Amino acid sequence: MFAPWKIVHIELSQGIPELPFYYGIQGACVVFWWHGIPLGEQKIQVDHLPMPAFQLRQLATKAITPAVGDHLVNHGFKARLPMPPSIRLFDKPPDLQTLMALDQPLRRLRRHLSQPRDGLPCLSVSVVVCTRDRPEHLVLCLRSLEKLSERPYEILVIDNAPTSDATRCLVSETPEVRYILEPRPGLSIARNKGIENSSADVIAFTDDDVMVHPDWITRLRQSFQSPAVMAVTGLVLPAELETEAQFLFQQGNEPSKWGYRALTFDSDFFELMKSRGVPVWRIGAGANMAFRRKIFDIVGDFDERLGAGAAGCSEDSELWYRVLAQGWLCRYEPTAVVYHYHRKELSDLEHQIYHYMRGHMAALLIQFDKYRHWGNLYRAFGVLPWYYTKLFRKSLRNLMPGPKSQAGTLGAQIRGCLAGVKYYLQNRSCSSRFGASADKADWSEQEYISK
Amino acid sequence: MPYPIVEIDVTQPLPVISISENETGVAIILRRKGRPIDFWMEAMPPNCELPPEDLSVQISERAKLKLLGENISDELMPPRKAWRLPSLTVAICTKDRPELLVRCLKSVQATQYPDFGTPSFIETIVIDNAPSDEATRALVGSMPGVRYTCEPKPGLDFARNRALREATGELLAFLDDDVVVDRRWLVGLMEAWTENPDAVAYTGLVLPYELATEAQILFEKAGGFRRGFDKLRYHGQTLSNNPLYPCGAGIFGAGANMAFQREKLIELGGFDEALDTGRPLPGGGDLDIFYRVIRAGYPLVYEPQYMVFHQHRREIKALRRQYWSWGLGFMAFVGKSYHSDPPKRSKFLRLILWWFKDRLRYLKGSLRGRHELPPYMVLAELWGGVIGLLGEYSRSSRRIKHIRAIHMSFIATGLRLCIFLR
Repeated sequence: MFAPWKIVHIELSQGIPELPFYYGIQGACVVFWWHGIPLGEQKIQVDHLPMPAFQLRQLATKAITPAVGDHLVNHGFKARLPMPPSIRLFDKPPDLQTLMALDQPLRRLRRHLSQPRDGLPCLSVSVVVCTRDRPEHLVLCLRSLEKLSERPYEILVIDNAPTSDATRCLVSETPEVRYILEPRPGLSIARNKGIENSSADVIAFTDDDVMVHPDWITRLRQSFQSPAVMAVTGLVLPAELETEAQFLFQQGNEPSKWGYRALTFDSDFFELMKSRGVPVWRIGAGANMAFRRKIFDIVGDFDERLGAGAAGCSEDSELWYRVLAQGWLCRYEPTAVVYHYHRKELSDLEHQIYHYMRGHMAALLIQFDKYRHWGNLYRAFGVLPWYYTKLFRKSLRNLMPGPKSQAGTLGAQIRGCLAGVKYYLQNRSCSSRFGASADKADWSEQEYISK
Repeated sequence: MPYPIVEIDVTQPLPVISISENETGVAIILRRKGRPIDFWMEAMPPNCELPPEDLSVQISERAKLKLLGENISDELMPPRKAWRLPSLTVAICTKDRPELLVRCLKSVQATQYPDFGTPSFIETIVIDNAPSDEATRALVGSMPGVRYTCEPKPGLDFARNRALREATGELLAFLDDDVVVDRRWLVGLMEAWTENPDAVAYTGLVLPYELATEAQILFEKAGGFRRGFDKLRYHGQTLSNNPLYPCGAGIFGAGANMAFQREKLIELGGFDEALDTGRPLPGGGDLDIFYRVIRAGYPLVYEPQYMVFHQHRREIKALRRQYWSWGLGFMAFVGKSYHSDPPKRSKFLRLILWWFKDRLRYLKGSLRGRHELPPYMVLAELWGGVIGLLGEYSRSSRRIKHIRAIHMSFIATGLRLCIFLR
């Protein structure tokens, strides 16, 4: 029997309380903040509740230390880019004197993050929300956008092939939001419509099942400080973990995957990973991402064959692939936060995973088609089948009833992969704008798994 | 052969570590403002120096998270109020080792007092366990403020239960006679208590007192008694990432350095006298009481500042015997709890399987030269485990019944003699 997880947000600047006992939950997922900056999280099982304040402080310290170090010290606390452990990256340890001189690190951190940045170009931001027949979700999203501490230049709602005019009515109630109808179904198509109709320097995308943090725009804008950064993604926290499906979905997004420390993906990363398939899906999530407008002129806009309504998903990661392939930077900035409502039903989850893998497979093939980077095929036809064989063997061994794990959705994943190949073959004819630049493939490289 | 043990406080200027001719490495205890935050050993060529620059790189690489974490922890700490601290009884169980005992007693007397309050009283009891001469009694008699008690029934847990009856403090801290307490030992215990007044058991860090022989270095390299430098609080019947919790009671701490709320310990029935009997079953009593504390639903706290230095076995033979007794004591505890705690039986079965699998894997690694411990040590532990599993606990129970019976008849004879003489 599944019991929900309670999500507790603790603002450390307001003192650390005792964590009370909540009835009927499996545990608490505690997120630690410092003046609106998320710094870490910790899962606490229910039989450790109520938890005394001092112990919560202990856990908080442990959870936030890497992120505080990353903010304050230049090296030694960097998060590792998603690479296999065989690739050694040397991060110089921090200077001991510097480390010892850091008394009151949290107060320093606040000063560090709130000081005005010199030379920060004043970028304007358009917010694009794509939706389809979910006014009850959209209303929460719009309400959170109203509470932004910094007003965006404009907010666009793209109504994608609606079956009723509920969304139109809803948007007409909020005057500062522009309504745009896109009759052709497909998330990529809707997002491209958003790009077409927006006019700010930076376009921030979010989904209708998301609530944004008040500082979302500010933090996104700050992350575009370096002119080479073309794409920024942010932290997606679960809004609730009430059902098993939501919990399972979240397990795929543990902090090990998207953590509380910033990451910069550059061409070095791209070159290192090219031969095994660049894990662009680890850059972020489409529910919380932003691009400089001019990148769409350089690399093109979202591929309409990908994304919900078409292949399934991966339209975001495929665009990041192009950004990196052309030598620009992508940045993951965990201080830009949104809260996502995961699907509640298990059947929805399975459906979603099917489409994830379908989109993922199609994206790999499309990426190969555009750039002839053989690593994409290596992942599609080498790594993934090998990984599924392993998972299958593991699931045979654990036939005992128990919590569903990743192996539980194995069937959906494999069907998704096959469907992705089929989808790609059917839609191959779509013109690809990018020429073939053949790369030497390195097939002897060690396998790399992480999806 | 010996490793010097160097204490470094990062808030002080770093020293130059020099290795003399016959030394082959160094062990470093790292502190920050007196709190221990790390320990490591490093083999080094004889006659060399480790300059502060290299040392600082090593320190920041090893302990960066801990150092920054301590800074953050200081900042998040609410202003400390003055506490009414509990009274404390320190009980040292000993047998025929007065030279070790005197060292231990002196260190207890030299320990610092906390600055956030003073315990209403601290008493020290020495429990002399079935002594073969009067040396310990004479020694304790010469030390002011130390109470002497003799427990004639041989067995560590007889002595500990005797201490439990004799003690008057709210907290009762047990020490083995082969340890020396750290100067912050008392501060650590009292801090653990102020942070966890609801806890029933407290355990602490155990570091080596000396690394003078091959056996001592080997033991410490293989992990020793160390349980890390983070405060830990165990409460409840599950622990994420540890499916065998709380049955794998080795994680909780070591009996050489542990403390209890005295009344709660009495309520739990004290120590199991069939464990820790000395030969032939020297061990398991600490695991058993930690396990029972957790199973009774009370918290158990591990506090690194509550630290002692333990003198490890000097001879390889004695070390092998210690590993053997670890296996034996652990499995005797498992065998006992399997019978006394039916709801956890399946977990104990899995624990047994896991233990043998783990030890065999370790043995395999050891045969290939991948581990510190040579194969015969691992074999000794495994063999101890097998013996322990094959009914050692019930054999031991019969033995102590016998010991009790002898002592009862002894007392009865004495009484009869008294009556007769009158």
